[in-house]
Amino acid sequence: MREYEAVIARVEELARQLGLRWDPVVFRMSEAEEIAEVASMGLPNRFVHWYWGGAYKEIRLQQDKSLLSILELVLNSRPAYAFLRRSNTYLQNVLVIAHVYGHADFFANNHWFQKSNKNMLNEAERHARTFRTYEARYGRETVEALLDSCLTVAASVNAFERDPARRRKRLVYFLEEHAPLEPYEREVLQAIREEAEYFDLIQRTHITNEGWATFVEATLLRELLTAREWAEVCVHLCARPTPYTLGYALFGAIRRRRGFEGALAARRYYEDVRLIDETLTQDLVDRLDLFVYDPRDRSRNTQVDAVKEMLIEQKLYRGEPRVEVEDPDHPRDLVLVHVEEGRKLDPRRIALYLKAVHGLWKHPVRLRANGKLYTFDRRGLSTA
Amino acid sequence: MRIHRGRIAQHKHDELLRTYLKQNLHELIQQKELVVDGKVKTQLSTLDLPTLRYGDDEAYLAQGTGGSGRGGGGDEGAQAVGGLLGGDHHGPEVRVELDFDEFVRLAQEVLLEELELPALQRVPRGGEVETEDLPELDDLDRIGLSADLNLEETLLASLMRNVRERGVLDYDVDVRQDGWYFVEDPRAARNHRSLEVYVLDISGSMRGDYLALVRKTIFLLWYALERRYPTNLRRYVVFQDVAEEKTREEFFSVESSGGTHISSGFEKAMEMLEGVSEYDTYLFLFTDGETSSGDFELAKRKYEEALDRFDLVCYGHVNPGSRGVGGFSEYVQEVARRRPNATFANLVDLDSVREALREFLTRVDGGGKGCGSTRRSSRGWRN
Repeated sequence: MREYEAVIARVEELARQLGLRWDPVVFRMSEAEEIAEVASMGLPNRFVHWYWGGAYKEIRLQQDKSLLSILELVLNSRPAYAFLRRSNTYLQNVLVIAHVYGHADFFANNHWFQKSNKNMLNEAERHARTFRTYEARYGRETVEALLDSCLTVAASVNAFERDPARRRKRLVYFLEEHAPLEPYEREVLQAIREEAEYFDLIQRTHITNEGWATFVEATLLRELLTAREWAEVCVHLCARPTPYTLGYALFGAIRRRRGFEGALAARRYYEDVRLIDETLTQDLVDRLDLFVYDPRDRSRNTQVDAVKEMLIEQKLYRGEPRVEVEDPDHPRDLVLVHVEEGRKLDPRRIALYLKAVHGLWKHPVRLRANGKLYTFDRRGLSTA
Repeated sequence: MRIHRGRIAQHKHDELLRTYLKQNLHELIQQKELVVDGKVKTQLSTLDLPTLRYGDDEAYLAQGTGGSGRGGGGDEGAQAVGGLLGGDHHGPEVRVELDFDEFVRLAQEVLLEELELPALQRVPRGGEVETEDLPELDDLDRIGLSADLNLEETLLASLMRNVRERGVLDYDVDVRQDGWYFVEDPRAARNHRSLEVYVLDISGSMRGDYLALVRKTIFLLWYALERRYPTNLRRYVVFQDVAEEKTREEFFSVESSGGTHISSGFEKAMEMLEGVSEYDTYLFLFTDGETSSGDFELAKRKYEEALDRFDLVCYGHVNPGSRGVGGFSEYVQEVARRRPNATFANLVDLDSVREALREFLTRVDGGGKGCGSTRRSSRGWRN
């Protein structure tokens, strides 16, 4: 780490001049394997689950082929932990360091991040330990099945939703309140819901966060690097995945319209939906070559409204179907409704999904979708 | 010491994956193109959490990638960005890829469990093979055993390196950089025992359950034969209107289409006999027997010819619906009663596959040149 101390000091100085403020950042040099581990689990000391295993495998594979591989990771904690990859070149790590300060500034100043739990690192560790005790007490298979069910329903969290009535329409909150769970089961469900909310917040600000970090990185590096190095960096920046390039382009547009001060304000108050809604123009859609692709007639729609609508919908519902809990007539009833009747759900997943929900609800679970009523009870799935 | 949580999680995932694939083998095995780029790619939704998703043909957001994206040829290089934007770090659906060999092993495991085949006596790899010629170390490579170091080449390499790097004529050998070793020339290893030719009908009617049944049968055949005779020469032919030789991977990646000319299959199989006269030769042909009407007489003649030239000709009539045996298959069934080196099997379900394999394996073991004619089976595999 010593060789980077001078660069870090210089980056901090420049960042302060730009008006950025952040909580302390701790840098750590780490192996690719460790980065893959944290990236797949989301937090370094989270409980071990097979689901991360699949992601871990994929990331390791990408790292071996060095395509789009992850160069850095920052955790939204206080202090913020940043992992640099040992195999990065010096220039790559300088890039990464500048990028990290963008994230750290975002974590500390963005309005939505004020609600996030900066102590999640310790929380996750505590959860993992609790789950291990339960495994010892109730049996590993029982707890693993419970974790599968909880992780499945946890996809319905919304970190932004504060209205209790609307929250209850979301399955995970409904189950937490009403499901006939053993105390330890409820505790596991709560723990997983908390972790899911932490990640949900990160997702809902993903484009803004990555866009801002890339924007800061580019602004700082233009000061810091020689022309030749800068040219090399530009190639790196263009090759990044969509959230980076899209967010970067959007912040660039804001600066052109409202100056750097405007960009600073945007990073404070915006999350993805607002950023996209207010900033995305036809010109940007064309430049970024974004479009809505319909595989049925192989058509591309490049209209800004269509792209915007789809992006915002993905942000609001994470590209997942909108399934709501219907108000129950009877305390043992659980009826789920797919809100957009017109769109078809993948039927192969329905049985497994309902089985997972049934594992927590323990009474018959119904789902209205695809023009049918699916019921899952002790005997399995039936359709009407 | 660091706990490798990632590796632990991956281990858990892979264990589950095996169970999952075993459960879904039937669906998996009848994919049109089983092997793509040497990998078996599953089309099933895979080890994802069972959250709800939209069906496949919904519109999605994409970004152009100048033609280098995934997403298939017809999509003009459109790259789906749903996974990147919507999800966390995971793709929307991690498709499972397995090496083909890995997949075959898995399939064989499952099928053997299902079949409860009699435990064959396991022959250690290589033990069965009789070979007069010891491997000849007549090739050179940079990697090898230190006992097989080739001094001449190594010293020459070292001399060249010293000239290049230090500008002096000096034999300062560093084996890590200069070493050349004698190794076995892979082409020189000639210890095959027999020739197995697999011929598969890939005409339009061979899909779905037909394909599943045939592939299962072939996996089992391999399993049995490869374990006992690891160095047998194996060749693969597919036919519809015309026949072609394929590699083992390609054998499973061809799409079913076109008409059926069984004669072309036999003809191509006989071409495989070129230059292998010293081996025992086996032909396995799988078809639903519905040859084109004009091909019937020719197919008969080619079949007779194949019987004369192969030591054993096994004909599998693929019949998952358990209908009667008709067409060309009926003819073969008839012939198999008379000819000592012909067998016929009516493959209806896994049970009949078991019968067929049992019968067939005893014939291969007892068969071969000289023995084949002493064992007469009037019954065939199963009539």
